[in-house]
Amino acid sequence: MRMDTVIMGGGLSGLTCGIALAKRGQRVTIVASGLSTLQFNCGSMELLGCIDGKAVTSPLEAIATLPQGHPYSKIGTDRIATLAEQAKSLLDDAGVIMEGNAAANHWRITPMGIAKPAWLTLFGHLHIDDLNQLPARRVALMCVRGFFDQPNGMLANGLKELGFEVEKIEFTTDDITALRRSPSEMRASSLSKHLVSNHALLRVADQINSLTGDAELVLMPSVLADEEAVRTLQSMVNKPLRMIATLPPSVPGARIQTLLRHYFRMLGGNYLMGDSAVSGTFDGDLLTAITTAKLGDMPLKADNFVLATGSFISRGLIADYERVYEPVLGLDVDADAEREQWTRFGVLEQQAYMGYGVATDNNLRCLKQGKTISNLHAIGSVLSGHDAIKMGDGTGVSLLTALAAAQDILGNK
Amino acid sequence: MAERMQLCNISVNNFEQCTKCSICTTVCPVAAVTTDYPGPKQAGPDGERYRLKDPAYYDKMLKLCLNCKRCEVACPSDVHIADIIQRARMSASEGKRASLRDTMLANTDLLGTMANLVAPVANATLGLKPTKLVMDSIMAIDKHRTFPAYSRQKFTTWFKRNAAKEQDAYAHHVSYFHGCYVNYNFPKLGQDLVKLMNAIGYGVHLLDKEQCCGVALIANGLYKQARRQGQTNITSIRKSVNDDHRQVITTSSSCTFNLRDEYPAMLDIDNKDVRDGISLATRFIYNLVDDGKVKLVFKQDYKRRLAYHTACHMQRMGWQLFSIELLRMIPGLDLVELEQNCCGISGTYGFKKENYERSQAIGSILFKDIADAQVEAVTTDCETCKWQIEMSTGLPVENPISVLADALDVEATRQANNIN
Repeated sequence: MRMDTVIMGGGLSGLTCGIALAKRGQRVTIVASGLSTLQFNCGSMELLGCIDGKAVTSPLEAIATLPQGHPYSKIGTDRIATLAEQAKSLLDDAGVIMEGNAAANHWRITPMGIAKPAWLTLFGHLHIDDLNQLPARRVALMCVRGFFDQPNGMLANGLKELGFEVEKIEFTTDDITALRRSPSEMRASSLSKHLVSNHALLRVADQINSLTGDAELVLMPSVLADEEAVRTLQSMVNKPLRMIATLPPSVPGARIQTLLRHYFRMLGGNYLMGDSAVSGTFDGDLLTAITTAKLGDMPLKADNFVLATGSFISRGLIADYERVYEPVLGLDVDADAEREQWTRFGVLEQQAYMGYGVATDNNLRCLKQGKTISNLHAIGSVLSGHDAIKMGDGTGVSLLTALAAAQDILGNK
Repeated sequence: MAERMQLCNISVNNFEQCTKCSICTTVCPVAAVTTDYPGPKQAGPDGERYRLKDPAYYDKMLKLCLNCKRCEVACPSDVHIADIIQRARMSASEGKRASLRDTMLANTDLLGTMANLVAPVANATLGLKPTKLVMDSIMAIDKHRTFPAYSRQKFTTWFKRNAAKEQDAYAHHVSYFHGCYVNYNFPKLGQDLVKLMNAIGYGVHLLDKEQCCGVALIANGLYKQARRQGQTNITSIRKSVNDDHRQVITTSSSCTFNLRDEYPAMLDIDNKDVRDGISLATRFIYNLVDDGKVKLVFKQDYKRRLAYHTACHMQRMGWQLFSIELLRMIPGLDLVELEQNCCGISGTYGFKKENYERSQAIGSILFKDIADAQVEAVTTDCETCKWQIEMSTGLPVENPISVLADALDVEATRQANNIN
């Protein structure tokens, strides 16, 4: 089967690249082994959050100071602002409505109540422009009775440390109580499926309106399925209402993935979920075809290929007892040879392995045994030289490298 | 040493690979509509830990699992969650007899053989209100369901009388695993396949001995019978693929999935040597076209707007691409690919009275998508999805092979492939 471009990996970077290419009329197939780490995304995108442990306020300026091996430096820091704009409008076109801009970070609130720098945050979710000017003082934190995915105590303490006066308010409705029959699945995704109808939302709104007294801002876990439900509930509640991300699997993260996948399909793209690339055929400096687990003896041929298989958690990179490697195509990786260097003892310390990934040239094209594969780009978390946890650059790298690779493929860099 | 340790780390059904991320639960169509079902993570890998300790931890609510495999498709760690659940159901049912209702629903071929003999009577009777009420109250088969109509003539009878003789004249050959639905309910699909294959120069043949693939037997706990029938089928398929060098093609995604994947996973039937020789017809034809071996010519005046629904087992096989890309070759066809959601019927599951409401609730997202798509018909590779979608949306549902056969300019195609 022949495509213009075949993308290995169906997460944020793979979908973004696929959409950018399909929009320009390319025939694109995405091979996605299961749902991606977008399911763990809190509903925010970050461009660059921290350098050397310090929060970044102006990501565009800070990006100019990054070392050469960072994916942003490879793309060219002069292109970042434009690509960031394009990424935001691509999300917008897919129905992922986000607030924020690349010139100045805002603060998102994690499920544990910690403020972290972010570039974009989903509509309806709490974000704060300036921690010295909180949007409200007295906050009602709505806690769903029996709910697993929100550590209320930690969240309330975190919010208090930011300067809010927090009152935890437990509530439930008939719809929510009915869910508790299943002892193991009182989870955000289950709630999102049962709080859909206007009646169900109205019962939640009634609880909020009767319990929140003199609060100036109401916060509730992000368990509403879509933007429409958020708007509906906001209109029913007589105070400002904002969502706060829950522990994963996250409803807003899953929503972003669904919207992007839907948009990609609408543009004529093929999305093969539950399949994975297993090997490739090379001809000189070209990758000519890949085989997948499910398509078997039918290789996917294409003019261009994109590797968007993610990092260790997504099995885009594998570490065994001896080495770190890229399992599909055996590409060159940037990683320390000695196993002792991979990790440090403290789990929260900066870990070297977080920066490992496939080696690329300055156009994000992969290397195999030192030679550039001219029609194979790598994008997103599989790339080396960045650290989603310590630098807060994971989603930004995914979005921007995806667009940069798409432009390179379309030949209008 | 290190390498050997890593090899030891591989577990049955990738059970140990579960990272407890819960993604499977977010996509489970059953957990989405009922709180009675604990969800795939709890029912699968989590529950398995307890069951390994003591089988008494088995939760009877596992019977609510549709075996749609959507959890497996979504799992980022390749854990065979549904297989773990099915295997648990299997161990729990050992030594127990299936109910009369389940036995009847599961034996699609026995029921078919009896009904064919008296098709007009059977169809009329099964459609009557009193019959439905009796079935509802005594058999617990939901009264809302209409049994798919039985054909007066079996596909195999039609084939032997009308088509078998000409088949040897073709240069290339395949065997056709028609399945129960084509044989007893809807021979037209089999006839469409013969028409299509003949037009591209392939003779179609029946297997020496074909029995029901057993997908419904497995779902209803009749494992021994399923294994017996499976062995008969694999013996016939083996002869076709290995001795006669004829690939075996099918027109049902569930039969295909069962023959290829469930036989080894659920029934311990070794099919390694012939698994690659079993293919869905759309995949087989797509590959021929893609390799430039055959050409398809379509009618100039053909014009339709259809929605393609990916059946659960089709998605698990990962083959929807072949049906979709083949359909996209028809110039006059405007094809809408629906979001992949379960229709809720899951073979015999939705026929059972206790499952009816749940079945319809599960399918409601798909039915809404179909209504929004504004199409004249739906196309899908699964016959039970067809019944469910037809009953629930009122739109006709066709197999992609029938759509292709309908759009095909037979004469022009024969000429393009140099067939007299």
